[in-house]
This record gives sequence, C-alpha cells and structure tokens, in this order.
Amino acid sequence: MLLEVTELTKAFRDTMAVDHISCTLGNGVYGLLGVNGAGKTTFMRMLCTLLLPDSGAIRWEGSDIFSMGGAYRKLLGYLPQDFGYYPDFTIQDYLLYIASIKGLRPAYAKKHAEQLLQQVGLWDIRKQKMKKLSGGMKRRAGIAQAMLNDPQILILDEPTAGLDPRERIRFRNLISEIADKRLVLLSTHIVSDIEYIAGEILLMKDGKLTLTGTTQELTASMPEQVWRCTVQREQLDHYLQHYQVSNIRNTADGVELRILSASCPMAEAVPEPATLEDVFLYHFGEKAGADHDIL
Amino acid sequence: MRTMIFYEIKKTVSRTGGRIALGLLLFTLAVSCFLAVRVYYVNEEGAREYGYSAVQKLRAAQKEWAGVLDEERLQAAFQENIRIRHSPEALSEDITENEIAFGRLQGIYEIRSLINESYAEGFRSYDYYLADRLTSVNAADFYQNRVRLLREWLETDAKDQFTEAEKAWLIRRYEELDTPFFYDYVKGWRRAMEYFPTLVMLAVMILGYLVAGIFSCEYQSKAEAVFFASAYGRSRAVSAKVKAGLLTVTGIYWALAGCYSAFVLAFLGADGASCPVQADRGGWKCFYHLTMGQAYVLVLLGGYLGCLFLSGLTMLVSAKTRSSVAAVMVPFGAVFLPSFLSFIQHPLMNHILVLLPNRLLDMGTTLGYFYLYPVGGQLHGAVPLLLILYTALSLVLYPMQYVEYRRLSKK
Repeated sequence: MLLEVTELTKAFRDTMAVDHISCTLGNGVYGLLGVNGAGKTTFMRMLCTLLLPDSGAIRWEGSDIFSMGGAYRKLLGYLPQDFGYYPDFTIQDYLLYIASIKGLRPAYAKKHAEQLLQQVGLWDIRKQKMKKLSGGMKRRAGIAQAMLNDPQILILDEPTAGLDPRERIRFRNLISEIADKRLVLLSTHIVSDIEYIAGEILLMKDGKLTLTGTTQELTASMPEQVWRCTVQREQLDHYLQHYQVSNIRNTADGVELRILSASCPMAEAVPEPATLEDVFLYHFGEKAGADHDIL
Repeated sequence: MRTMIFYEIKKTVSRTGGRIALGLLLFTLAVSCFLAVRVYYVNEEGAREYGYSAVQKLRAAQKEWAGVLDEERLQAAFQENIRIRHSPEALSEDITENEIAFGRLQGIYEIRSLINESYAEGFRSYDYYLADRLTSVNAADFYQNRVRLLREWLETDAKDQFTEAEKAWLIRRYEELDTPFFYDYVKGWRRAMEYFPTLVMLAVMILGYLVAGIFSCEYQSKAEAVFFASAYGRSRAVSAKVKAGLLTVTGIYWALAGCYSAFVLAFLGADGASCPVQADRGGWKCFYHLTMGQAYVLVLLGGYLGCLFLSGLTMLVSAKTRSSVAAVMVPFGAVFLPSFLSFIQHPLMNHILVLLPNRLLDMGTTLGYFYLYPVGGQLHGAVPLLLILYTALSLVLYPMQYVEYRRLSKK
C-alpha cells in the first residue's frame, strides 16, 4: 500500500507552490510541517485529485491517481483546511449525505455514521444543525465525514487550526485512535500537533520537502546545539539579535532563554537535547515566528 | 442515487430562504385561486351573489344556451338580447332595474359577445353595445364574417405586415374551422387560463431562486473540496444535482398547477372542454384549431416548459459562475427584459419577442398572436415553434450542467 509522489510540481502564475516533490508514503501517520504558504495545501489538494499537477506523478499501488478517478477517491478521506459544510443540515444529515456521495449503501452508512458520531463525541447532538456547532465540533464532524468510507488514505489539512488547547489534545487523541492500518497525512504549522502522533515528519519549505524523518532523526540531523541560559533583562535584546532563540521565559533571576547555536553563547549556558520545535525554528528561522501560534 | 437526490432537494428547501419562497408560492396559489373563482351572478332582484351557489346559477343560465351554435340558436340569442334590452328594466334610469335586466342577459352573455365580434366594423374593433344597436342580423353570415373581417384587415391595415403566402395561409386557417361549432359554458377554462400566467410567472422566479443554489452551494459553503474528493463527487453526485433540479421544478410546478386547476375547475366547472377556443370571445380570432381543454393543456405544458427551461438556464449559470446571485437573475431577466425590448417597434423584433421563453409562461395570450414563421418550407404560428424550440433547448441544457460542473472539479 504505497503512495508514490514523483517530481510533483505546481505553479500559480509566478509562484512555485510545489517544487519537484518526491516521496513515498506507506501506512502510518505523516506530519507535513511548514509555515503558511509553504505549499502544504497545494500538495494535499493534488493528493486528493482536486488540483492537476503541472508535472510529475502521484501513484497509488503503481497506478496514476488521476487516471484511477473514482476508484482512487473511494480510498480517500479528506478534511480540508477550510472545511465547508451545509449550514442547514443536521450533523446526522450531513454525514448521511457525504456517505451517499462516497458511494456507501444507506443501511451501512447509517450504522457507520452512528459509530463515528459516538467516536467523535457528537452522538448526543446529532440532530443539531451544523451552523449551530462550535469550531471544535465542526472539526470533529469534519473528521467523521473523512472517516465515513473507512479510507486507506486519510488527508487532514490543518485539522487543528482555530481550536483551543483542549480541543487540540482531543483531536490528536482521536487521530491516534483512527490511524491504525492506514496512511494518514496531517499538515500543520503547529509543531506540537504532530510531535506526539506522527511517525514520520515531512518538513516543507518554499514548495520543497527539505527534510524527512522521525522526530529523533530530525533532531539528530540538526547541526546546531541547543543551549539553556539565564540572562539579565537588559541583555535580552543582544541575544535576540545575535542568536536564534526558540523560547523566552521570565524567572526571578532574569530571563531564561533557549538558544540554537553551534558555539556556546555564554559560559553559564547548559546544553539541552533538541526538540522538534528547535528543528522547526532552525529550518524556518524568521518565518517560524511570523505566526503567533506556530509552536 | 435516491439518497443523493433526496439530500440535494433537502439542501434547497431546508434553507430559511427556501422555506420563505415556498410559503410565498403557497400564498400566491391561494390568492390566484381566490381571484380566479371570484365570479358573480346577478339575481332577480338585481343584487350580486358570490360563491359556489352563484357559480352554479350562472352555469345553469348559460347551460340553457349550450348546443350547436347554428343560425337558429344565434337568431334566438339575438332576439333574446333585443327583448331584454328593450324591457322596462333595461330602459329604466334606476341602476337596480338595469342590474335586473343584466341578470336576465347572463345566459346569452357569451353568445352576445361573439355577435359583437362577428358583426364588428373591423377585425381589430370591438363594440360592447353593437348587439344592442343591431336591429337584425343575418345569422348565416355569423361564421363567414370572421373570415371576411380577417381578409379585409389583411388587405388594408395589415397589408404590409404579411407576405401574400402568409395572408393566404391565415385565411385558409380561418376557413378550415369547423362550423357551426358547439357552444357551452366555458367559464372554468377561461378563468383558469386567465389567472394562471400570474401564478406561473411568480413560480418561475421562485423556482429559479430555489434551484440557483443547487450547483453553487458547495462553493458558497466551501464544501466543494469534500464533494469533489468523494468517490461519486464528479459523476453520480453531479448527476443527482441535475436530477434534483429537474425533480424540484417538475414536482413543485405540477403540484402547483394541479392544485390550481383542480380547485378552479372544480369550483367553476369543467364544462365545455370540447368547445373550440373560438366559442369564447377571447379566442374568436385565434387561428389555432384547439378545444378549450386542449388549449388549457397547452397553457399548462407551456408553463412547465418555460419553468423547465428557465430553471435549467439558472442552474447552468449557477454551475458556470458558482454564484447563486448571478444565477437567480436569469428568471427575472427572462420575465422582465422582453417588456423593455417591446419598446423597440420593428417587425423582426416583434417576431423575436414572441419566441422568447417568457411567452411560454402565458400560452393563452401567445395563442392569439399573429406572427408566422416559415420553417421547413411551411408556415407555422409561434406556439408549435416555442414548444419544439424550448423542448430541444431544455434537452441540451441539463446535460450541459453536468458537463460544466464536472469541469470545475479539476483546475
């Protein structure tokens, strides 16, 4: 069960959204990590056959997914970043409608929709209209629709965007539950979302896959060391200007910094094991801080 | 497929706007029914009566004169009119007395109108009091006058409007009418035809509003990604949208037309279905040879075809532009634009205007139009051309929606 991506390219006018991407994805959870505008959504939309690539190919079990058409989409579950729904439908109606366009038999669809509603915790409010749901509830309805056809390929584009921390944790747990025996590709620019659940991480920058591997492999590959040190408040600007700082914490003694640097930034600095957040900061630098909810 | 169609229709009618639109349609149906059956009967005291009993009395009065409208019946009706008009009640200056006289006239009122048409001075003139002024009529001329007046009109006022072949064709059509024809009480059919266009014009706009969202709703609610990424999102689900549109239009239209027709004809009576349209004053000049029943079926079919075509066009615009707003303008434009274009007085423009889809919505009036079209070496009136043209266009429109919407699935 392999999804092979070969030299995939897509440009919008002068912008190269996806630039010669190649990768092979099997069963497991993959985290696609990148800042906004890195090309994640374009890449995922091509995987869902919603966009045609300018060049390159995507193959499922050796067959071109665009030629497979409906047969490929039968294997697919997709939760888009901008998850749209039918506001006047109840959650149950919504799921049954999506089940019908996914080709599920009505009797099976009803049974399976009930199971999923219970799994995502929406059973008690199944008769409520979609427009009355909170952001978190809508996302849960979104994951339920993506799971309706028990997909072999589950693509989730920024599934935790806009969710509060409690909902995000709940969502991560839900994905871990359903990730068994299928390919799950999860895009985000929030590192903590995938740090715990993704088996493999794909780092995407400017339309390219810059780095792939497990969290351990990625952190091990980082050439710079992570240092923890405490500085006086008046020295903070100096360190921010001269080093990549991944975290700042106020303490009674001053300001505790987490610094990425090949050399020791000060005598009192203590080396620390690198995390995925550090890798992310190292690769995306300034851009990583552009989004306030990045880490 | 049935589930998909069910939910597509549910999407349309579950919206607040959709429910309001359906409510408005029901309200219009009620008003149209009320207006169509609001018929009065003037009783022996000269007072107006309304309601079902009034209809029954009027029907009974006119039924007395039902039968083949031959010279004998015409002469009798004419003499009866003279007798009533010269009665003390008719000559009185008291309005109530006049009303009593009018009450006695109700039985022959429609035949009297036909006499006014037949013995008129010109083809395009109508004098309400003509039958009262005539001292005698040659009943043998009654049907021939119809042809004579047409011929005179074609040679004078309308001499430049038609070619010689068209003139000959029209005269032949007039001569081909089977006479003497059967006369009967046809109030039910006439009133049903009279008020139906208002109902159907509002229906076409409401149907347009309902179906305008069928293709654009995915884009408006940003649900298109899930839709197109589904197994049937580019095949059966699109087909379900087309079918849902067809079913919505067909179901709502025929429910509306059925309720309206059943109520109006049950209330006013469906007598005279086999009378030719010429047996009613409104159809006297018509060159189509149809019975009242056939004409009404034509009115219903025309309305359906108009709704089907305009809703189909609305859906196509919706599929192409992904916008309900742009799509919903289609039925409005189709209904109102011809009114503005009619200010352009040009023979060609008039011929075009009569072939626009809004004419399907008022087939009763279209039956009275004198526009001829040479097709396939033969002359035809606008009615058969409208039916053929818009049936063909509708057959093309709906598959086009499917193709167009599928095209959007890949960018």
